Amino acid sequence: MDTFVQQLVNGLTLGSLYALIAVGYTVVYGILQLINFAHGEVFMIGAFGALTTSLVLFRGQTSIWVLPFMIIGAVIASVGTAVLMERFAYRPLRNAPRLAPLITAIGISIFLQEFVRLNYNQVPFTSWNPFNLPDAKALIPFPQIDVVTGPAFEIGGVTIQRAAIFTIGALLMCSALLWYFVNRTKTGRGMQAVSQDADTARLMGINVDRIIVVAFAVGAVLAAVAGVAQGLQNNNIGFRMGFLAGLKAFTAAVLGGIGNIAGAVVGGLVLGVVEAMATQYIPGQFGGGPWKDVWAFVLLILVLVFRPQGLLGAKAVDRA
Amino acid sequence: MHQRSVVRVGAPLIIAALALSACGSRNDSTTGAASGDKIAVIGVMAPLSGDLSALGLGIQHSVELAVKQANANKTIPGWTLKVEAKDDEAKPDVGKNAATAFAGEKNVAGVVGDLNSSVSQSTQPVLATAKIVQVSPANTNPTLTQGADFKTAPKRTYDTYFRTCTTDSIQGPFAARYLFQKAGITKVATIHDKKTYGQGLVEAFTAEFTKLGGTVVAAETINPDDSNYSAVISKVKPKGPKAIYYGGEYPNAGPLSQQMKAAGLNVPLMGGDGIFDPKYIALAGATATGDLATNVGAPTDQSDAGKKFLADYAAAGYKDPAAAYGGYSFDAANSIINALKVSLKDAKDVASARQATIDALGKVSFDGVTGPVAFDQYGDSTSRVLTVYKIVNGAWAPVNTEAFK
Amino acid sequence: MITIPNIPESVVARHGSKAWPMGLAGAALLVIGSLLSWSIDPQVLGNLSISLNPGGLQIMVIAQGLIAVILLLADKGPLASLDQFADTALGLRALATWTLIFMTMVVVAITVEAGGLVNVEPGAWICFLGAVLLFASSRLVLPTETRHLSEASLPGWVEILIICVIMAALLFGTAYALGLDDAWQFVFFLVFVMGLVITATRAGALSWLGSITTRRRRVLILAAFTVTFLFPLTQGGSDANMSIAAQVLVFAAAAMGLNIVVGLAGLLDLGYIAFLGAGAYVGAALSTSGFATIGWKPPFIVVVLVAGCFSGTLGLIIGSPTLRVNGDYLAIVTLGFGEIFRLTMFNLDGNNGPNLTHGPNGIPAIPDLEFGSFNFGDTHVLFGVPLARFSNYYFLLLLLIAFIILVFYRLNTSRIGRGWVAIREDEKAAEAMGVNVFGLKILAFVVGAFLAGMAGAIKAHVDVSVTPDQYIFLESAFLLAAIVLGGMGTIVGVLIGAVILKLLPEKLRFFADYRLLLFGLLLVLMMRFRPEGLIASRRRQLEFHEEDEELALRVEGDIAEVVT
Repeated sequence: MDTFVQQLVNGLTLGSLYALIAVGYTVVYGILQLINFAHGEVFMIGAFGALTTSLVLFRGQTSIWVLPFMIIGAVIASVGTAVLMERFAYRPLRNAPRLAPLITAIGISIFLQEFVRLNYNQVPFTSWNPFNLPDAKALIPFPQIDVVTGPAFEIGGVTIQRAAIFTIGALLMCSALLWYFVNRTKTGRGMQAVSQDADTARLMGINVDRIIVVAFAVGAVLAAVAGVAQGLQNNNIGFRMGFLAGLKAFTAAVLGGIGNIAGAVVGGLVLGVVEAMATQYIPGQFGGGPWKDVWAFVLLILVLVFRPQGLLGAKAVDRA
Repeated sequence: MHQRSVVRVGAPLIIAALALSACGSRNDSTTGAASGDKIAVIGVMAPLSGDLSALGLGIQHSVELAVKQANANKTIPGWTLKVEAKDDEAKPDVGKNAATAFAGEKNVAGVVGDLNSSVSQSTQPVLATAKIVQVSPANTNPTLTQGADFKTAPKRTYDTYFRTCTTDSIQGPFAARYLFQKAGITKVATIHDKKTYGQGLVEAFTAEFTKLGGTVVAAETINPDDSNYSAVISKVKPKGPKAIYYGGEYPNAGPLSQQMKAAGLNVPLMGGDGIFDPKYIALAGATATGDLATNVGAPTDQSDAGKKFLADYAAAGYKDPAAAYGGYSFDAANSIINALKVSLKDAKDVASARQATIDALGKVSFDGVTGPVAFDQYGDSTSRVLTVYKIVNGAWAPVNTEAFK
Repeated sequence: MITIPNIPESVVARHGSKAWPMGLAGAALLVIGSLLSWSIDPQVLGNLSISLNPGGLQIMVIAQGLIAVILLLADKGPLASLDQFADTALGLRALATWTLIFMTMVVVAITVEAGGLVNVEPGAWICFLGAVLLFASSRLVLPTETRHLSEASLPGWVEILIICVIMAALLFGTAYALGLDDAWQFVFFLVFVMGLVITATRAGALSWLGSITTRRRRVLILAAFTVTFLFPLTQGGSDANMSIAAQVLVFAAAAMGLNIVVGLAGLLDLGYIAFLGAGAYVGAALSTSGFATIGWKPPFIVVVLVAGCFSGTLGLIIGSPTLRVNGDYLAIVTLGFGEIFRLTMFNLDGNNGPNLTHGPNGIPAIPDLEFGSFNFGDTHVLFGVPLARFSNYYFLLLLLIAFIILVFYRLNTSRIGRGWVAIREDEKAAEAMGVNVFGLKILAFVVGAFLAGMAGAIKAHVDVSVTPDQYIFLESAFLLAAIVLGGMGTIVGVLIGAVILKLLPEKLRFFADYRLLLFGLLLVLMMRFRPEGLIASRRRQLEFHEEDEELALRVEGDIAEVVT
């Protein structure tokens, strides 16, 4: 029983990360019907933003008071990236056939990965490194902030890591704030309107362009928090961390119901738990760590076969 | 309208041309040729970029140092040596392309490489076909010199392949003996990353450990691309191991150690030469104290020759440290140079001397910075000294050096 | 974007008469300057330091000068009859602009490589001056009315000869380009070729060529195949470029297969590399390598078919559940499937599954093919030219790609192809018209997978080892980019796209670090400015540029011309 609860905790931790990133995918897809491939990179850049803030402003300090600043740094980095992306790459392609934005997204994803890899510790085309940042070509250790990292808690035979508590806590808080934003503020209601029918929303006087930027920004904020959480959990970040996480997060978004924010959260958690349980309980040679990712994608295919609108029902359904 | 599009393409081109002028040549070479001398190239294949670049760059610079000294001392009269380094990115594919490129160049006399056993598996056949000698400073998998059936029927598959470090059939058991006899640990869990090196190391370790009487309570694997190992740690923890033996390299071992300790599995992690790097300590964080690693040979800074090597290396001003395999690469380069002393003496060009180089390399014997350098009938190093290191105060400190019998 | 302002009318009127002699003077200076030395340092840009012995770049400039002379003479002089058909003024402007760009780059390159403006010899300055004069004169030449070039008629044999000459020029040009080791020279050659192409386009020559080739299609195809067949013979026994050529052909074969799925049927497949990988692993596992994991060793033809069938079956398995849903989902699912494939190959090493693939180490040491006594690893001599290992595989791959192109062409011009077009345009309407949407989609997927499997089986032998690292998502992205860059749904376009994407990174070695960065940027820019690709099918162009009136008129005109 202990093992079950332990893996449940592991799964919820992992799933919280997926959920935070999945919201970004689902919000953008709900409004634009665009799979923002580059959202995984926004997540990665958020983590790097936090790292940079910590290295530049608080080098060496691990007090808990550094954490809010790191989160702010992460948010600035990822929101900046997302807004620039939307403005210069996606907006001109608003009316193009589906293929164009999708390939653009793949291009942006590759570009951002390489850009961080090559230019994190030097201004492009020079070797000027004013803040003495580390090389991004290998994994970079992430600062271990007190209170949120350190010895784990043992509760009745189940080990709960501090970083796990941070992640799940962050998800709860972000979900609450997001719910409030979407349902109780004017902009949030505008987002709902635009995702239902953009033209009518425009007729109703809603500035659709601005809403779209807000949608990207909202997704980016959550991704930034996820970036900090992953850095704390794994103790390192790298330029490649966005790819697989992004893919799984999109799987989670589809699992929960694309376009449905609550669905993204639920989908993320379910996916995390399924992965953890598969690692523990699938017997024989096909169990264990290496097959973890495969089960995630198999789950995706199964969902698409049996319930394409996802667990909670998609809000932007478009069956072939 | 027409001019616009023409210029539209032209202007960026000019800018691009100006920008590209900042890019330099890809290949590294040392020392210009003395006029009249013939040129022989010693190639280097190692991961010069990516996660393991710390080790790879150390290999490259150590070879460059050896060649620089050889040229300065005019070790091979009438010939000037140059170094050409190619990046194998720790991937078998890329390594194969690099080896193919070397095989196509006529004045390559020998190659020092690779770092990873899995990469050498792909590069060995290519270089063997071209009869270019290959000396690895770091490959520890036994199959590379003794064939797939090395335990029962060892057979040398490629007579161009040599190595200056010992093999895992010695390194694994060495670690097993240390854990069982010196550290008193009888219950161990093993984890590896499924690559040739890690898997081979763990297999050798397990065989010896169980022979000594210990138990391996869990044998798991991880995917090296993964960054979160909580699922595997949770599987292993309930079985109560007193140490984890890891087969693989530091980009995964470091985070594994940190996550292990954070999850409450407070036991030392022991690995092979693949985790012996300062970057492991950086990645594993503050909880890494007590982790262990084995490395081939005695500590470089304890012998006189080793101290001199490190001093020369520092004086040469290379940006990256010599890292774990600096000494071995230096010895590997010198073994090739010693062989070339014999084979290039009366040779007209490098290509015709290749067979002679292979024969001469089998017979070299000298004192290198890691100890006496010589090769046995399989191309393995005859030196069997290994050291166990422990992390103390944030750095690797040697705890036990002995020759394996 | 920068525009060169047109010279005001008054200036043109006053100095117009000086344009012609100025142009001739400019062209003369170009030729003379090229015969002199350009730079003292012989290591720069392929030895431009010897007078009267033009190096590669100098020959290019001489060529540009001579073409300028031809265009000028056509404008006003003995070749005036050509002026009726060729838009010489525009052609001259394009040529002059490109020559100026070329010479500026040369001066910059010499300065950078040799370290200082002082290293640029008078010869280069003379050429630069000539380019400036040419440029000025071209701005002063008035454009004239021209008749459409398709009305120019030449005797049949002349047209065929022209096709052959152009093909031969392509062949030797490619051989020359591949032989260039210095990346700078390669870049200059590219600039030169681009300049020529744009000049020809502006002068109307390209559309004239287009109409010739439409009339002589059979000749063109025959010439194209002969040229590609003869390519290894131009290498003089060196196998280095043939290795690149073989890799380019494998990539092009896979791209053609993907072209069926994405270009014809409009199904966005982001995991296509998995089918190539499946074929490669089957080919490796059934080969006689020491590490092969399956005991059955059938003859190679059987292996190729088995590999194709295996991949096709995988396509069937992955297609059945997902082709019913939205196109975007298909993209993600195929991407996920690509990852599943790679991870599975990574895991099946005896620890986490039956030992079928040796996990991350892959199956190395795959021996060369042997058809009877013809061993692909040996060097054979054809017409006195030694052909080594990669040349042998090159011919085999040529056969494969010819087969794939044939399949593509036949499918495209059949009922199935029209069904695919209908599905691509509007699925619901197609279904209403009775098109078996699901069946055709599955067919596209399976055919694409089958062809990729076949290509993979050969790739295993060309590469000698098969590892999971070779079949990552990035490769799928490259394949997709090749199709989009070249022109979805076209044959020539996709081939060109594949060649560009595989060849440039090999030749522009100094880009190596920035390769992926530029690739990502290229994708973004491409979709922004020319999403229909280099060689666009008309329909695509209209689809992507819905608001472009001029384009619509032009397309209408072209269609009308073909019909009448």
